[in-house]
Amino acid sequence: MDSLHTYLFVALLLFCIGLFGLLQRRSLIGMLISVELMLNAASINFLAFNRFLGPDPAVGQIMVLFIMGIAAAEAAIALSLILALYRRLRSIDIEKARELRG
Amino acid sequence: MTAVAPGSTIVWLTLAAMGLPFAAFLAIFFVTRPRLLPSLVISLACSAFSLAVAWWLLIHLRGIDAPLMFQALWMHGGQASIGFGFLLDPLSLVMLAIVTSISFLVQVYSLGYMAGDPGMAKYYSFLSLFAWSMIGLVVASNLMQLYIFWELVGLSSYLLIGFWHQKFSASQAGKKAFVMTRLGDLGFFLGIIVLLLNLGDLSILGLNSQAAAKLSPALLTASAVLVFCGVVGKSAQFPLLTWLPDAMEGPTPVSALLHSATMVAAGVYLVSRLYPMYAASADALAIMLAIGTVTMLLASTMAMVARDIKQVWAYSTVSQLGFMLMGLGAGSYFAGVFHLTTHAAFKALLFLCSGVFIHHFGTNDFFDMSRQGARHLRIPMVCITIAGAALAGVFPLAGFFSKEAVMGSLAELDQGIWLWAGLLGALLTAYYTFRLLFVMWRPLQPLQDKQSNPGHDDHQHSGHSSFGYGVMSAALIVLAGFTIALGFLGDKLIAFLHWQRPPQIPHHTWLLVTAILVVLVGIALAWWEFGRRGAAQEGFLRRFPALETLFARRWYLDDLYRRLTDYVVYGVFSRLCTLNDRRVVDGAIDGVCRGTVGAGWLLSFLQSGLLQYNLFAMVLVIALVGIYFLLL
Repeated sequence: MDSLHTYLFVALLLFCIGLFGLLQRRSLIGMLISVELMLNAASINFLAFNRFLGPDPAVGQIMVLFIMGIAAAEAAIALSLILALYRRLRSIDIEKARELRG
Repeated sequence: MTAVAPGSTIVWLTLAAMGLPFAAFLAIFFVTRPRLLPSLVISLACSAFSLAVAWWLLIHLRGIDAPLMFQALWMHGGQASIGFGFLLDPLSLVMLAIVTSISFLVQVYSLGYMAGDPGMAKYYSFLSLFAWSMIGLVVASNLMQLYIFWELVGLSSYLLIGFWHQKFSASQAGKKAFVMTRLGDLGFFLGIIVLLLNLGDLSILGLNSQAAAKLSPALLTASAVLVFCGVVGKSAQFPLLTWLPDAMEGPTPVSALLHSATMVAAGVYLVSRLYPMYAASADALAIMLAIGTVTMLLASTMAMVARDIKQVWAYSTVSQLGFMLMGLGAGSYFAGVFHLTTHAAFKALLFLCSGVFIHHFGTNDFFDMSRQGARHLRIPMVCITIAGAALAGVFPLAGFFSKEAVMGSLAELDQGIWLWAGLLGALLTAYYTFRLLFVMWRPLQPLQDKQSNPGHDDHQHSGHSSFGYGVMSAALIVLAGFTIALGFLGDKLIAFLHWQRPPQIPHHTWLLVTAILVVLVGIALAWWEFGRRGAAQEGFLRRFPALETLFARRWYLDDLYRRLTDYVVYGVFSRLCTLNDRRVVDGAIDGVCRGTVGAGWLLSFLQSGLLQYNLFAMVLVIALVGIYFLLL
């Protein structure tokens, strides 16, 4: 069980769930959560490769810390965007935001 | 042929005489136009120089027995080469003397006639332009050069006819003259192309010596007739004759210079220039004879009913040009050229005399002039009588001898009809000329107070200065001298034209008598109707209203052209061009626009506005690219 493949498989599963959620959810909050899932999948990949293949034990973990920081910043911006959109449309449904339709 | 050495006196003088009028045109038009006096001096000086050179050449070269040619190579390609230069032979020397003399006299005369006109300097620049083009045409050494100057002559004619362009009719007349002569020039140009393609040589001497030998008879006739088309346009022959009467809208000296003596004679001159080529094609000569005859008769009938003095002379010019072509068509080179020479003198005189009357009385109607006392202007009255008698062919004036020469050549033909047509033409000519003269001499109801004439409708000039009358009369007297003297120079001219070996011309005493009788009958008829005491001054045509209308409407030729223009040009060509514009050109552009809009409309369906579709497309593409790189 404790092999690289297991971790990679879990990360792949997580990424696919995130991608599916991103494409399928119509609620902006749901899409934001899905993006977070995809970021986590990337983090797992970093940790797994670092543990099984990397000579230096710290690099992958540093990268994950960075990803977490960026994810927090991204969530703040995304939430503020969602809030702005909500003020304008009285809804956070992505289907309502179709002003750019050709 | 004798080639003249470059650098000799003759070359320099001739080139200067050819070039100076153009220099005068440029100088006046671009530099001195705002100031009248320098413009006049330049124009008259250049004109006088050309005149002096022309007469010097004529006297100096009176004994030549071979043409003098000087030319530089202008274009060369394949077997064809075209030069540029001058060719002096008896014909061009005589014509050069005519052109420069009349041109100079008209410039002098215009000093009086155009005095006070605001555009006088411009007028003189156009006269210089005309003199340049006409001299270039006369001395041209090959057909291409001749054609270039031929068109320049047409241009200056257009500019001068429309000189009073504020008048609508004048600008219309200029346009009409330009378009109608251009119609003939199209044929001329095609003729040049045919000759160039088949001979590769356009020099006049080459054409005259080789065309008959090197071309097949059909080709020779075709090219001769095509070139003749240009003559028909320029010399106002049937069916392109109606532009010339309209061209009388220009100032009268212009009518004298261009539209009677020199420019319209250029057509006849062209035929004489290529006469050996024409003489080789009997069919071309026959066509020329027929067209000349028809024109002469048509135009004489038109002149019988005109009331406008300039119109009478215009029709008479057309008719006399037809008469010259009859002489040439009948095979007598000398008769045509002789009549051209004498006609230039007496027709210019007729126009210049008429100009004095028009200037003085401010009307073109000779019945009106007569009522206002035209006969008190002695010098122009005497001169117009001399010139009119010469036109009618009264012994011993110039017109008599040249007309006899043409009649003699017509009598040599096999069919008598041409001679009878010629005699009929002479009768009509005598009738309409003396109709005008008798009306002028014998006013029906003379006005006592000739100052009370109504306003000048035609011609706005301030005052009739005695200086103006003086210069005009001087020009008239010189021309009257020519009109009297030229007839006696016939023997000299025939020897000169035929390189001192004149052909034997048979004399017919019966013809001489008949011709004189015919003229006398014409004069008597005119006297009975217009000249005798108590004459009603109404022509016999008044009793045939249909004929009178036919003649006055110019045989409905203008209406025919109007119809043709409406139906053929506007009805067919303009419509087709419009269709092409609307459907093909506009349609193509509209199609491109509609295609763009449609394609944009189709593409706009991709922009659903839903973010996730874009995202999905992106993922899909990345996935496909990934698969592509992983698997291949």
